[in-house]
Amino acid sequence: MSVTIWHLAAIALLVGLGPCGWVCVRRGFAEGLVASQLAGTVAALALLVLAQGEVRQPFADLALILIVLSFVGSLVAARFLEESR
Amino acid sequence: MSAQHVAVDVLVGAGATVELIACFGVAAMRDAYDRLHFVGPSALGALLIGAGVIVRSGPSIIGLKAVLIAAFAVGTSGVIAHVIARAARISETGDWTLRPNEATKVEEE
Repeated sequence: MSVTIWHLAAIALLVGLGPCGWVCVRRGFAEGLVASQLAGTVAALALLVLAQGEVRQPFADLALILIVLSFVGSLVAARFLEESR
Repeated sequence: MSAQHVAVDVLVGAGATVELIACFGVAAMRDAYDRLHFVGPSALGALLIGAGVIVRSGPSIIGLKAVLIAAFAVGTSGVIAHVIARAARISETGDWTLRPNEATKVEEE
């Protein structure tokens, strides 16, 4: 199996999840919410490039569902943040 | 290597780089408002990667999904940035509007 640009992009995107996780663990609620929203987008894109690189369509379905649920989850978490004063 | 392969490499490489910069930017900034500035560029990365998939696959099912993902990311990044900033502001001060001592001065000519 040869490594393509899709695999390299997936690795780069997965590396990007590290800083987001660090912010979620080490910082406050608002900062963690920003990082988790970004992590949702990055993870969805990682699934999309994996779907293209591995020629597996279901990964793209997962990516689409993940980016929608990430947005909805962030809206709900923002509501909790508002009321956490 | 054809022009199509070069275009795909450039688009996907640029998209992944933008996402990586956004992730490290979020970790490097000081507070939630500074970190929010890096949520917007993530939509640009989604757009670049989606374009790469379209160039590689053409009009196909995965191309359609890539378009939907990129469009969703572009359409919602501004919304979610506003919602999070508003929620952070309310959690800090109880209201998201300006307080009297925060009002900016407007010079009249």
